[in-house]
Amino acid sequence: MELGLITLSAALAVGLPALATAWAQSRIGPAATASLTEKPELTTTAIIMLAIPETMVILGFVIAVLVMLRAGG
Amino acid sequence: MILAMSKIRILGPQEKLSEVLAVLQDLGVLHLAPPPAREHVTRLELDARQKRQVRQLRGTLEDVESVLAAFGRRPAAPVVHPAAGDFARWMKRARRVRRAVDRLRRRLTELEEERALIEKYRQYLALFQALLQSQARWPNAVAYHLVLRTREAASLGRLRASLETAIGAAFDLRARALPTGELALLLIVTADSAPRVERVLSEARVQEIPVPASYGGGSLAEALPRMIERLEVLPREHDAARSDLANLAHTHAAELERARAAIRDRLDHLEATALVSVTDRAWLIEGWLPAESRGRLEERLRSEGGDTVVMQELSAEDWAAGEAPVVLSNPRLFRPFEAVIRLMPLPRYGSIDPTPLVGVFLPMFFGLILGDVGYGSILAILGLVLHARSEPGTAPRDVAEISGPCAAFSILFGFGYGELFGDLGRRRLGMPALLFDREEAVIPFLLLAVSIGVVHVLLGLGLGVVNTWRHHPRQAAGRGLAAAMIVLIIVALLAAFQVLPAAFFTPTVIALLVAFPLLVIVEGVIAAVEFLSMLGNILSYARIMALGTASVMLAVVANRMTGAIGSAVVGVVFALLFHLVNFALGLFSPTIHALRLHYVEFFGKFYSPGGARYRPFAHWKPGVNHAG
Repeated sequence: MELGLITLSAALAVGLPALATAWAQSRIGPAATASLTEKPELTTTAIIMLAIPETMVILGFVIAVLVMLRAGG
Repeated sequence: MILAMSKIRILGPQEKLSEVLAVLQDLGVLHLAPPPAREHVTRLELDARQKRQVRQLRGTLEDVESVLAAFGRRPAAPVVHPAAGDFARWMKRARRVRRAVDRLRRRLTELEEERALIEKYRQYLALFQALLQSQARWPNAVAYHLVLRTREAASLGRLRASLETAIGAAFDLRARALPTGELALLLIVTADSAPRVERVLSEARVQEIPVPASYGGGSLAEALPRMIERLEVLPREHDAARSDLANLAHTHAAELERARAAIRDRLDHLEATALVSVTDRAWLIEGWLPAESRGRLEERLRSEGGDTVVMQELSAEDWAAGEAPVVLSNPRLFRPFEAVIRLMPLPRYGSIDPTPLVGVFLPMFFGLILGDVGYGSILAILGLVLHARSEPGTAPRDVAEISGPCAAFSILFGFGYGELFGDLGRRRLGMPALLFDREEAVIPFLLLAVSIGVVHVLLGLGLGVVNTWRHHPRQAAGRGLAAAMIVLIIVALLAAFQVLPAAFFTPTVIALLVAFPLLVIVEGVIAAVEFLSMLGNILSYARIMALGTASVMLAVVANRMTGAIGSAVVGVVFALLFHLVNFALGLFSPTIHALRLHYVEFFGKFYSPGGARYRPFAHWKPGVNHAG
């Protein structure tokens, strides 16, 4: 039971930020593409903007790993 | 580093202007800037003849470029000095060849459209062949050949209902799906109800495919044999038109390439003339050049312009650093990384060029994330292939040269983690992990990533202090204080976890409590928010660990597939596919995130964008932006 809850916590820690990241990128992606058709020089900015929300899922992944490690230890 | 620039002013008598401009264009080092307005000094206006020449040259250039685009990619010609009458000859030739090329392009388009149209009719006939061939038996009927687009297919029911309302049941409507996803319809109605039917079709906006007049009109069934005959002839006509285009290219391309180079060169010269200022008797040219090229220009002007042409250097107090164009000049090893800087607006003149630091940290971050001897070796091979196939100075060559250090760091950290295609090296070859095993040692990897973040952010803050110290001392003090506070937090944490003696804890916390209000006093309340975001920036380096762990886990899963699936061969194929996907991700992800750590976390602390690109007035070269 306890292992199940810990695993669920880890899954939520990475899953919820993944959904948030996906939502943010789904908004940024089309806007960036539209901007690039008019101003190709914004490519770098577009890539950075697209990579910024990934911080959420990356930190979520780190937390999930820490939760799993606590369970193992 | 950013090359030191000199701003110079050249003065001379009016009869020497053309000669001096030719010298400047030959030397190709001076970035022209219009001299500031003064009393009795005006900008040189092009005379009526020169303005007409600019218009004609631009028109000819448009013709030449349109023709060369139709001829396909060819090696560009170097600039030649045109003889008298060359421009007029090129203008006539470009106009004549463009007319011929446009005619051939139109012909090719028509042939392609005709072929596509016939193919569509052929599909239509295949669906309704029996019905169409019996069309002769409907003496008092009209047939409509219709197509409903994919997204309109659902409106078939509505169309049938509208027809029933308009003419009752006196119609026959057959529908078949075309291979393109569209819906082909054949509608047969009595001749007297045709006007009402046409109104219904028009209101429903249904597309009709009429029999083209070029096939003699009549019914579709009658026209189709003639269309099939055309289908056999069309490829030959298409080949003939392409061959005519190739012949035109063979006859004219080389000459038109020469014309393009000479016209662009001449236009650059005329546009440079418009950046000259004049007085009643003399002219005045101003511009920037790398300080190291000043002597060369002075010597050339003295030898070719004589005593009447004078060059003087303006003192740095006479011009603002922000106006000077920027030339990045770095050692050969770091030069490819200038491409990474050029993706951003250039740094301002007088600020710091971070290219050498990017040249060290970018491949290091990449290697820390990919960290695999096998993947690193494949990347090195791909880099060598790209290097061999790319031209110097092009983007693919820069990518090839950047991939070298990235591959080297990947292999180096691969030995550190003991990874060769994931855990394959460890399991099959007994490869030891010289640093730590990323599969197990998640916490040490996380600490390493965040520690690198601390060093990188502190380095950025240090550079920020250096960059702003002279002009914005308050901002510099704020950055210095923030850096000191980060160091204090690290010391306090190390003392709290007993890595450092516990006695350090209390003094560092007191120092932090003193430093924080000081930071707010120096930089305002916003400094508190900025400091917190700076701590977020450091934690952001955890992505190195997260992406690295994900990469090794995928490689391990790929290796497990060989044993997990019943057939060994299928298992190996799946494992190879998985490794391929992981390698592709392993190239893309570390690149994007290493770039992001630089652009957002590192550059944000010191980088001052806004530098103007150095565009010397020179002879035209393909792919280079010029002054003007």
